Amino acid sequence: MSKPAHLFGPSHRLVICLGPGGVGKTTLSAALAMRGAIEGRAVDVMTVDPAPRLLDALGLDPREGEPQSVPLDGIAKAPGARLRAMKLDPKATFDALVARYASSAAARDAILANRIYRNLSGALAGVADYMAMEKLLELHDGGANDLIVLDTPPAREALDFLDAPRRLLDLLNSRALALLGASRELLRGLGIVDIAARAVLAAFDRIAGLHLLSDVQGFVRSFDGMFEGFAERAGRAQAILHGPGTLVVVVTTAEADRVAEARAFVESLHAAGMEIDAMVVNRMMPAMPALAQLERAKIPAELKRKLKRNWHDFAALKRRESISLEALRALLPGEAELIVAPDLGHEPRTLRDLAELARSLRTVKEKANAR
Amino acid sequence: MRPPRLIFITGKGGTGKSTLAAALATALSRRYRTTLADLDRRQSAARILGAKLDAAAVRVSDTLDVTALSPRAELEAFIQRIVPLKLISRRMLKSRTFGYVTAALPGLEAFLMLERLRALAGQAALDDAYVVIDAPATGTALELLSVARGVKGIAPFGTLNNLAGEVESFLGDPNRFGVVLTLTPEELALREAVEAAAALADAGIATVAALVNAVPAALFGVGELAAASGLAEHAKMAARRVEAGAGAARARKQLERGGLRVIELPMLFAPSLAAHEVSELARTLEAELIAE
Repeated sequence: MSKPAHLFGPSHRLVICLGPGGVGKTTLSAALAMRGAIEGRAVDVMTVDPAPRLLDALGLDPREGEPQSVPLDGIAKAPGARLRAMKLDPKATFDALVARYASSAAARDAILANRIYRNLSGALAGVADYMAMEKLLELHDGGANDLIVLDTPPAREALDFLDAPRRLLDLLNSRALALLGASRELLRGLGIVDIAARAVLAAFDRIAGLHLLSDVQGFVRSFDGMFEGFAERAGRAQAILHGPGTLVVVVTTAEADRVAEARAFVESLHAAGMEIDAMVVNRMMPAMPALAQLERAKIPAELKRKLKRNWHDFAALKRRESISLEALRALLPGEAELIVAPDLGHEPRTLRDLAELARSLRTVKEKANAR
Repeated sequence: MRPPRLIFITGKGGTGKSTLAAALATALSRRYRTTLADLDRRQSAARILGAKLDAAAVRVSDTLDVTALSPRAELEAFIQRIVPLKLISRRMLKSRTFGYVTAALPGLEAFLMLERLRALAGQAALDDAYVVIDAPATGTALELLSVARGVKGIAPFGTLNNLAGEVESFLGDPNRFGVVLTLTPEELALREAVEAAAALADAGIATVAALVNAVPAALFGVGELAAASGLAEHAKMAARRVEAGAGAARARKQLERGGLRVIELPMLFAPSLAAHEVSELARTLEAELIAE
């Protein structure tokens, strides 16, 4: 049995949506934000890679890096409802961050022109994650909202996202500088393992004819003075993510593959000391209608035969789905809620579609003891 | 025409990529020695074939092996070549410094992986065998394939530049390398497939075929459903089936306009996807892609 999903409590300030690719995470993030807004909150949602349809539905200009108002005219909502949406641009966010913390205009330009930075800021896995955190801080500190919904880049593991600040800081900290730099004083502080790592880099550089090391060194060195600022912000982002006002949501679908992935997400979150608050199973098929209804219907016999065949076909798919849903239910910890979102049969094309999706979120398993 | 020695399967998440990779490998293995290599780390294709990938490679049948490739393992092998002292290389791989190495040389892992694919295809040609790669979803897969070009950019000359050149010519050789795109009869999946095909064509990489998966067998005639409009949920369910069929037809038209070979695979109305279902899909693929 199900009932309307409860989701957000008064103390919640941030909803973070994690999940593998291809499950409709971005759409669900937008729907959760819409749900928060309909209930009368001022909500900001940050999407990572929205489909063009969703951009259209939200009326979002993807080139704009700041939150844009989504008009909620014609949608039933509680007083105070407000929705703003934005699309994350990791490269632009990183550039802005560099500009903010660089000690001088020359230092800033040196970083922006460095070939390692240009590679790193565009391509390196983890940068998008880190920049999502950076924007989160901006939205959080801006204070003009009751609730922030954060979509995250698709990941194989939950920690890919949650761990991003630490990984990036690792690269930029002084230890890495020692490792990559050539200065003798710094080298003295290194252990044998670090020396070996250096040897690998040097060997690769030599074999490859890259002459990359001096660039790497220059890159890390130019970040030297900025490190404090980065570290402080990353630390605060971590504190917010792990704080009591954060709702951790894992989005998935009821397919056998996804069940295995969802299990891995829940386990790695647990191992990192973060508990999942809710799992949303997207694109659930509607309940099967009664077959008896067909028997009674006054329609041509041939059509009746075909509709019966169709019923049996879909019933098999529904059975497959139920097996997966039960597996998902079994892997959830007691304190977590299991929520289902219906398959609309198409991507949301309009705000109304999104509002419909937002309203039709239903709980199939409540928290064991709501705290 | 024979398929390329190494077939790289990618598509939007949720389009049945791993199932189709398993089916294609099964189809090829009916005639040739075949290796199905999982690049997706989820090892779904292996699971679908009932293989547990606890060892480096698992034999599914006399002619079909399943193996997992990981960029990290390639990087580890590379580092062990450079640091031959096992004790140090092993400790290094466990340490955080290892992260610096990968972060400092973006694309290195991916590049080593492409080098490995090139070696696999070369070996397959010698053995008259085939390799099927269950690749990551489209975006990640295209990034991987573009790495060789990037490496040439940061290493304008030298050994690495030569190596990158060889990888590029491997990817551009339709006898050795080809991509199979998977999609479902659904707008977003179609869009992703069309964009991927265009990006691949730009990069000079051959697309062997686009597989439109989960197409329900046609059941209802034109206008037939009008009489069922009083049966709310039954009518909706029938409409879903009709819509999926129409979506598949649209996908075919658009993909063929782009010069792609299109193969439809049936929606399998079964409570689970197991050996029997995979072998049914394999039959279709064998007839369409492999039989002369």
